[in-house]
Amino acid sequence: MKNKLIASVPSIVIGALIAIAPQTFAHACTGHGMFGACHWSQQTATGIGVVILALGVIALFSGPKTRMGLNIAVIADCLLLLAVPTILIGVCPGAMMHCRMVMLPTLIVLGVLGIAFAATGAWLDSRTRA
Amino acid sequence: MDTHVTLRDLPLANLARKPLRTTALLAVVTVLAVALFGGTMLGMNLGNGMRSMERRLGADLMVVPQNSANQAEALLTGSNSSTFYFTRDIARKVERADGIAQATEQTYISSLAAACCEEKLQIIGYDPATDFVIAPWVASQFQGELEDGQMVAGANVNVSTDGTIELYGRSWPVVAQLANTGTGLDNSVFINQRTVPDMVEASAAVSKRVMPEEYADKAVSTVMIKVKDGYDPQTVATNIKRLDTRFADLGYVYPGGVTAATKTALDALTGYMAAFVAALWAMGVIVLLAVFAASANERKREFASLRIMGATRGMVNGVIAKEAAAVGAAGGVIGVALGALGILPFSALIGSRLQLPYLQAGPWTVIGLALLAIVCSTAVGVVSSFAVMGRISRGDADIILKEGR
Repeated sequence: MKNKLIASVPSIVIGALIAIAPQTFAHACTGHGMFGACHWSQQTATGIGVVILALGVIALFSGPKTRMGLNIAVIADCLLLLAVPTILIGVCPGAMMHCRMVMLPTLIVLGVLGIAFAATGAWLDSRTRA
Repeated sequence: MDTHVTLRDLPLANLARKPLRTTALLAVVTVLAVALFGGTMLGMNLGNGMRSMERRLGADLMVVPQNSANQAEALLTGSNSSTFYFTRDIARKVERADGIAQATEQTYISSLAAACCEEKLQIIGYDPATDFVIAPWVASQFQGELEDGQMVAGANVNVSTDGTIELYGRSWPVVAQLANTGTGLDNSVFINQRTVPDMVEASAAVSKRVMPEEYADKAVSTVMIKVKDGYDPQTVATNIKRLDTRFADLGYVYPGGVTAATKTALDALTGYMAAFVAALWAMGVIVLLAVFAASANERKREFASLRIMGATRGMVNGVIAKEAAAVGAAGGVIGVALGALGILPFSALIGSRLQLPYLQAGPWTVIGLALLAIVCSTAVGVVSSFAVMGRISRGDADIILKEGR
């Protein structure tokens, strides 16, 4: 039970935060005439967050080996989350823009925490005998 | 599953078999490491920002238009951009006062958003011929003459890949971008005074005109003054007021005073932070001592068994010290990682929210600070474990075992 909670609850919480933060306090810039890169990063991050949340919920009702696989998927999703605003899509270039000052660091912190918790969950489940 | 445990593996095996106690100890050490690493880094970054600001303020006195002194002070310390001006004839008259060694004029224009997002730029027009404030630190990145229409950009300004800034619907060539100063100057662009009318015209073409057309070529926001040896800025301000009765209404800003006021606010902030970190460490050490001391009682028989099996006092003490060192080091690493995650990515946000000069320390300083926090966390764990060693070493192993029977 303890391993199940460690391997699923953090994914649910972090997934929810990744989905909600870019639409609320860590939003994209608002002054664009047309949608800029930060808007698309925001939307993609929300989608990735929902997937991580769903993986966490499924992990809550799964056995150790399945949970291990689900946590590996969470790690892959978090890596994708880190790549979206930094490499794949990007954010606005100005250092004082809201997307760069708030959204980017928030997503980086959530992504790193997601990887750390998912790796811990996967490691704990890998030590459980089937 | 391999159940064979050697003396070398024993400390980690002990920690793994008591997950609750290990987690509690880890949590305490982690909080201590976050406080030490985070608190010290914040204080260090504020200090860096303050020193950077002091280096950038080359004038002893700023003469600004009536009711503009607060805006001028905000420009020096924070990131609030603004537009204010009087006319050049007033500036020239001010410069004739007794006690002035050097005087130069600057014009401030607050731009609307630049090409992208809600970024607001402070445009600073200066006269390279008389300037003694900006040129000394611009010189580190730009040696030549700033031509009409050219710009020098602050560190936070978004310069496009073709080396221009899109402002008021026009592309302005950028000849140099300055290093980070941690002050409002990072969001500024510098142009020569002759470019100011062009900028005003450009603003009129695409948005609200930043100043009336007739003022475009004679607007001056401030006269920056370096006083002669033997004069103080207040005396020179009095001399200026004597030149014309209207000058009594002008704003007089003393950058040295602004720096001193900012320094006082910053010293208070870092002082409180240091006291908080020290108090947290004192409490943390007491909690660790209490936890280790309590565990000493409950683990007396465990260590007595080791002694009966042939382990010397030194070996038992070694096991205890290694357990404590492992918890301290792991807590230190987790604490430093959390502190770094909380501060490093958000440094621009912290700087803008504090409204104080804030300059992020370099990577080697951060690595050094991280190592210091980990070493201190490990040391506090090991020192706390001495409490257990004393209690364990005191009794005879067979008596302790019999007591528990």
